Amino acid sequence: MLRKKIGAVANGPRLSSALKEMTKGTVDRRTFLKRSGLAVGGIGAAATLAGGRVQKAHAAGSDAKVELKKSVCTNCSVGCTVMAEVQNGVWIGQEPGFDSPFNLGAHCAKGAAAREAAHGDRRLKYPTKLVDGKWKRISWDDAINEIGDKMLDIKKTSGPDSVYWLGSAKHNNEQAYLFRKLYAFWGSNNGDHQARICHSTTVAGVANTWGYGAMTNSYNDIHKSKSMILFGSNPTEAHPVAMQHLMKAKENNNAPLIVVDPRFTRTAAKATEFVRMRPGTDVPVVWGILWHIFENGWEDKEYIRQRVWGLQYVKEEVAKWTPEETERVTGIPGRQLKRVARTLANNRPGTLIWCMGGTQHTTGNNNTRAYCILQLALGNIGKSGGGANIFRGHDNVQGATDFCVLSHSLPGYYGLKKGSWKHWARVWDVDYEYLKGNFASEKLMQSKGIPVSRWIDGVLEDKGNIDQPDNVRGMVFWGHAPNSQTRGVEMKKAMEKLDLMVVIDPYPTVSAVMHDRKDGVYLLPASTQYETYGSVTASNRSLQWREKVIEPVFESLPDHTIMYKFAKKLGFADEMFKHIAINNDEPLIEDVTREFNKGMWTIGYTGQTPERLKAHMKYQHTFDKTTLQARGGPLDGEYYGLPWPCWGTGDIKHPGTPNLYDPSKPVAEGGLCFRNRFGLKSPEKWGSENLLADGSYPVDSEIKDGYPEFTMAMLKKLGWDKDLTDTERTFIEGLAGDKTNWKVDLTGGIQRVAIKHGCAPFGNAKARTVVWNFPDPIPTHREPLYTNRRDLMDKYATYDDKRAYRLPTLYASIQKNDYSKNYPIILTSGRLVEYEGGGDESRSNPWLAELQQDMFVEINIADANDLGIREGEMVWVETPEKSKIKVKAMLTERVGKGVAFLPFHFGGHFQGEDRRSKYPEGADPYVLGEAANTAMTYGYDSVTQMQETKASLCKITRA
Amino acid sequence: MARMKFLCDAERCIECNACVTACKNEHEVPWGINRRRVVTLSDGKPGERSISVACMHCSDAPCMAVCPVDCFYQTPDGVVLHNKDLCIGCGYCFFACPFGAPQYPQAGNFGSRGKMDKCTFCAGGPDADHSAEEFKKYGRNRMAEGKLPICAEMCSTKALLAGDGNIVSNIYRERVVGRGFGSGAWGWGRAYPGSVSN
Amino acid sequence: MMLHRLIAAIFFIALMLVSVTTINAQSVRPPGNAVNQSTDEQIGTSNTLGPDSQSKYWHDLRQGKSGLSTTGRSGGLLIQAQGEQWRLIRKNYIIKYSGWVLAAVLVILVLFFLIRGKIRLKGGRSGQTISRFSLPHRTAHWFMASIFIMLGLSGLILLLGRTALAPLIGKNVYSIFASAAMQGHNLFGPLFIVALVWMYYLFVPGNFFKMVDLKWILKGGGLIGGHASAGHYNFGEKVWFWAVAIVGLLISITGIILEFPWLSANLQLLQISTIVHAIGAVGLIAFALGHIYIGTIGMEGALDSMTTGDVDVNWAKEHHDLWYEEVTGEKSATHDQGETGHAQVYSQDKITGV
Repeated sequence: MLRKKIGAVANGPRLSSALKEMTKGTVDRRTFLKRSGLAVGGIGAAATLAGGRVQKAHAAGSDAKVELKKSVCTNCSVGCTVMAEVQNGVWIGQEPGFDSPFNLGAHCAKGAAAREAAHGDRRLKYPTKLVDGKWKRISWDDAINEIGDKMLDIKKTSGPDSVYWLGSAKHNNEQAYLFRKLYAFWGSNNGDHQARICHSTTVAGVANTWGYGAMTNSYNDIHKSKSMILFGSNPTEAHPVAMQHLMKAKENNNAPLIVVDPRFTRTAAKATEFVRMRPGTDVPVVWGILWHIFENGWEDKEYIRQRVWGLQYVKEEVAKWTPEETERVTGIPGRQLKRVARTLANNRPGTLIWCMGGTQHTTGNNNTRAYCILQLALGNIGKSGGGANIFRGHDNVQGATDFCVLSHSLPGYYGLKKGSWKHWARVWDVDYEYLKGNFASEKLMQSKGIPVSRWIDGVLEDKGNIDQPDNVRGMVFWGHAPNSQTRGVEMKKAMEKLDLMVVIDPYPTVSAVMHDRKDGVYLLPASTQYETYGSVTASNRSLQWREKVIEPVFESLPDHTIMYKFAKKLGFADEMFKHIAINNDEPLIEDVTREFNKGMWTIGYTGQTPERLKAHMKYQHTFDKTTLQARGGPLDGEYYGLPWPCWGTGDIKHPGTPNLYDPSKPVAEGGLCFRNRFGLKSPEKWGSENLLADGSYPVDSEIKDGYPEFTMAMLKKLGWDKDLTDTERTFIEGLAGDKTNWKVDLTGGIQRVAIKHGCAPFGNAKARTVVWNFPDPIPTHREPLYTNRRDLMDKYATYDDKRAYRLPTLYASIQKNDYSKNYPIILTSGRLVEYEGGGDESRSNPWLAELQQDMFVEINIADANDLGIREGEMVWVETPEKSKIKVKAMLTERVGKGVAFLPFHFGGHFQGEDRRSKYPEGADPYVLGEAANTAMTYGYDSVTQMQETKASLCKITRA
Repeated sequence: MARMKFLCDAERCIECNACVTACKNEHEVPWGINRRRVVTLSDGKPGERSISVACMHCSDAPCMAVCPVDCFYQTPDGVVLHNKDLCIGCGYCFFACPFGAPQYPQAGNFGSRGKMDKCTFCAGGPDADHSAEEFKKYGRNRMAEGKLPICAEMCSTKALLAGDGNIVSNIYRERVVGRGFGSGAWGWGRAYPGSVSN
Repeated sequence: MMLHRLIAAIFFIALMLVSVTTINAQSVRPPGNAVNQSTDEQIGTSNTLGPDSQSKYWHDLRQGKSGLSTTGRSGGLLIQAQGEQWRLIRKNYIIKYSGWVLAAVLVILVLFFLIRGKIRLKGGRSGQTISRFSLPHRTAHWFMASIFIMLGLSGLILLLGRTALAPLIGKNVYSIFASAAMQGHNLFGPLFIVALVWMYYLFVPGNFFKMVDLKWILKGGGLIGGHASAGHYNFGEKVWFWAVAIVGLLISITGIILEFPWLSANLQLLQISTIVHAIGAVGLIAFALGHIYIGTIGMEGALDSMTTGDVDVNWAKEHHDLWYEEVTGEKSATHDQGETGHAQVYSQDKITGV
């Protein structure tokens, strides 16, 4: 019944003619403007737009077959399938991907406009460098050579740590893995990506509570939730398609939807209960809820006895948060939190969702642990319908985090210890000594690098104050929007101080324009994920395989090709790509997947072979839309996308783990328990108590109690070592004998045998609610660095200044100053649905840009009236660090009195100055605006260096 | 014959604008023309609701009645389409339309209206199905391919429903029963008088 | 003279003001809230559904309650309730009656012609003429007349064509007509304003009402009660002049609003404009039919004033006796009460012999 779209309507020439012009030489900006139907600047173009639609003609040979390509949306982490219709190599249309269990055909504004990536009118079209303040086109070879020479020069004079490799959550898994490998081979830990400023506090907090730092369940599993509580999460704007799943629970289960947020967000409008809190008081809110739970004995006592350690210490802290104290600090009346507590207690299992509103604080790790503790107390973790559902931000931020494009770990969260390096050296088939030789020293090899949030300080800080030989002198921005980072004014200074700036991105990004450099800047055009293929990990840990939709447009190249070119230039390509086939400078993606399959044992990225992942995309329709399990068909019983941990090698066909720590299934069928990660006993200070699970274990486990993580010695003790094959045994014996554990056994034998006996390779322990190695073992409230509640200083002051990640980090020395007189309004920030991240891509997409044309600040109507500000007026928003932005005032009750909100996707204006003219010809986004983070202030999490973007102070004046 | 209808479930619509960009993407609608738009009521306040609205393809369509050149026609399945070759851009359909559906590009030196453009229920126009002419003037013809409007198919929360009125109202009714309350099938009273009792 | 210029100036300023005030600044994020309410009540209540009942909420919506939208200029309005009203007024009154009104006027004129016949000069043509309208006057008149006819015809095509024309010539051909009519209407519309101002400036002297006009009315313009005296313009002409001036102003203002819709974000204004424009135009066309009748076949010697500009002395004496006296200083036979009017204005005009 369904007929194919016929070809006569293809819009091919739009792209091909653009390409033709590229080869002719410079691109005429007006041609591009004309083609996009837009006048200069885009804004207000409606008035000058000549009638009719964008010109289009027959594609050559319009009878050509229309192919359907399945890719995955490159915006948020939901992982919506993008069905692309391609004809003659031209992406002509999008169809809903109804088969996808994640989105069931749905998209948000961004996903529905994905095709614009292929038009690429505003893309960076060829390698460009800045010469005397002018952009000059150069060839790829020249670009790689010049940049490589400069890098090697920096390495020689200042050491490898003076080049900073800033990666991306927009890379697919293979590229992310290669990128991590690239700076390992370069010889530095100074590499990082957006996860640092996104969910690093989640990963740290959650992993340190129960083992893994990821979303425990899935979007689909929310269908089974009986209640939902959201902290600092606004899925209607940040993860719109996720709302489909929340709505289902709300409607089918009559599940209460509770939104805790300083703003009455669009999600709050769909909630059954909205709790308005003061920004930066997440811990008191959670403790305020728990106070009622403990007071009334609503906690799940049996669950806690079996699976949770240390709650008695938490109870002592919670007892301090009486309804009165909670209200004093958070502004939420006690009776409302009591209602919330009762709702959560009466509607189990319930899911708890959090996002940036919880993580981006100086106390972010405290917040995330507090959320976990709330769920543990309610007994909601490890249950279908429950869980800590942490919605990740970017399409592959989960994957990039798992491959540890981070400054503090090797892929798979192996850390940076000598053993970790040796493990990966074995996987890469190179000598440890070779790797060490590339580093400045073994000490630096094992010490955490500078995190992305602090690269500015790596450049600007006094050399003697940094724990590495020299300042950062060269920056590689590989898929990074600088306007997503705070302290814009200092960042501009840092950019200007650098010797070398390399931007590798499909778009010029704000990095191209925010500084006043005259030279030493290179812009290299990268392809989008629609122009290459590979795997991508959605928020629920499922991997999906993207097909290549179109060939790279203009002169852009896929990231992994560019990485190979750099590796070649920098002299380690042969070692780095030892087991990866190279075709015309492009590493074979499948080989990369197979290589990481060989090493990612910790989190079970080992079973997801390219072949299995491709089959999952092909048979999408056979998966249940709630459980994500295939019913019948060739993949019967497997979970969609083989959510990690997908234990063992691909050969043992583990189905993936749909919900973490869920003992209601055998481990072989996706069941789990909490991970034994923190030893067998708590430290003396915390009672020297047994940390193993007590009487709780996954179904079919042959050990009916807690147990430590598996080693060869343990297998022998249990007598299970006889199940090992000879190959496995030989390898294990050759590696470390009895000490060989499940994480470094490259054959997967230990995992296989443990699972065979119904056991989780990582042990079976209790979740710990006290993280004794963190600055605040029990999550405690500490006021933001810039706070106007000076009356709370005596009880809730922040940390003392400290050193971390090679740099000094300020806390008390900032908080001790009282800025509340001059900067009385609390400033927070967040997302808009039309844009994503720094917005360079989405603001260059006409279908999206048209919908949001002005950067604005939400001001409460009462505040605005006090300040004499009217709707639509331009205002200055100034923060205590004296940086200021000029934005449009939007008067609304969405923010409470005394709070202002900025969306952070804009860029291209700087402190009132329009920098459109600084973009390379034809690559300026349609919409520019002030970056919220130009004004956002200092503040970093005490564990992960997460930046504070959610609670600062500002003053607002009419411009 | 099925009677095609749109229904937007305001309890579900989250103003994500997917319908807007899906439409633009599918039909290559230029900047400045919005065949579909999302309206948020009580923005930022309790009671905030969003509704996606485009041409509702009314039963007794006011635009058809008022057009001075009689350029509208209704397909057997109730889709209201127009002939751009006949349209003179007078704007009367916009004056009459309860839903603000007709859009006009500015044409000429004085910025007068060009030929009217509006939602076609992804059913093209009077030109031959799938012809280049049809695409140029009206966008893709999904109905002729046996598909429903892209805006509804891509709706992030399945708030926007499109299709046979009976099926659409059944889906909606089930949903209303599920949640225990309903807000009324928005716009149906006006667009399809007599067809439903809200 | 100052007064006339002043009025002309006011006329222009009025037009400008209408254009300016209809321009609404376009804000992408228009005000979400007009009312300043305390936000305190939001804290501590679970009510995310707002203060209004569901039924009130949807009722308000049907009545045209507005929200906001990131798309489009008038995007915030969900249901514009007055559109239906507008359509019904147009259909049930304007289209329905305008045809009848014009037809009725034509019938009346035909009947009048048949009954009364042409109004002849009682004394026949004298052979002597007197200058009535200068070249600028005549140019302005015919400029206006041609534009008026063009706009009137094109307007009528658009208004009544679907009913009267399309069934005869078919939709496709009619659409070409209609398109041309609209383009022409829009192109020449602004010239109507130029013509109107020009005409007003030249013709306003002598068109102010006087006592003599009351007598003219009482005598039914000479149809009853014997000869009705008149100055340069009689009462009928004055009414025609002011009708053109005032209704013309209305048509001009509404026309500008309709021609440049992007000036105004206010749909209601556009709707009212079409109605005012149509009623005014049909009224003027009906009046114009009478004017054309009396100026051509209805009255002997009348047309001369707008062709050569010179009228027969007898015609002047019979129809505009007071004016004749002023110009010539001579008493006309038909004069029954002296009155001086605009001697200064026309004193330079002299009777010219053949």
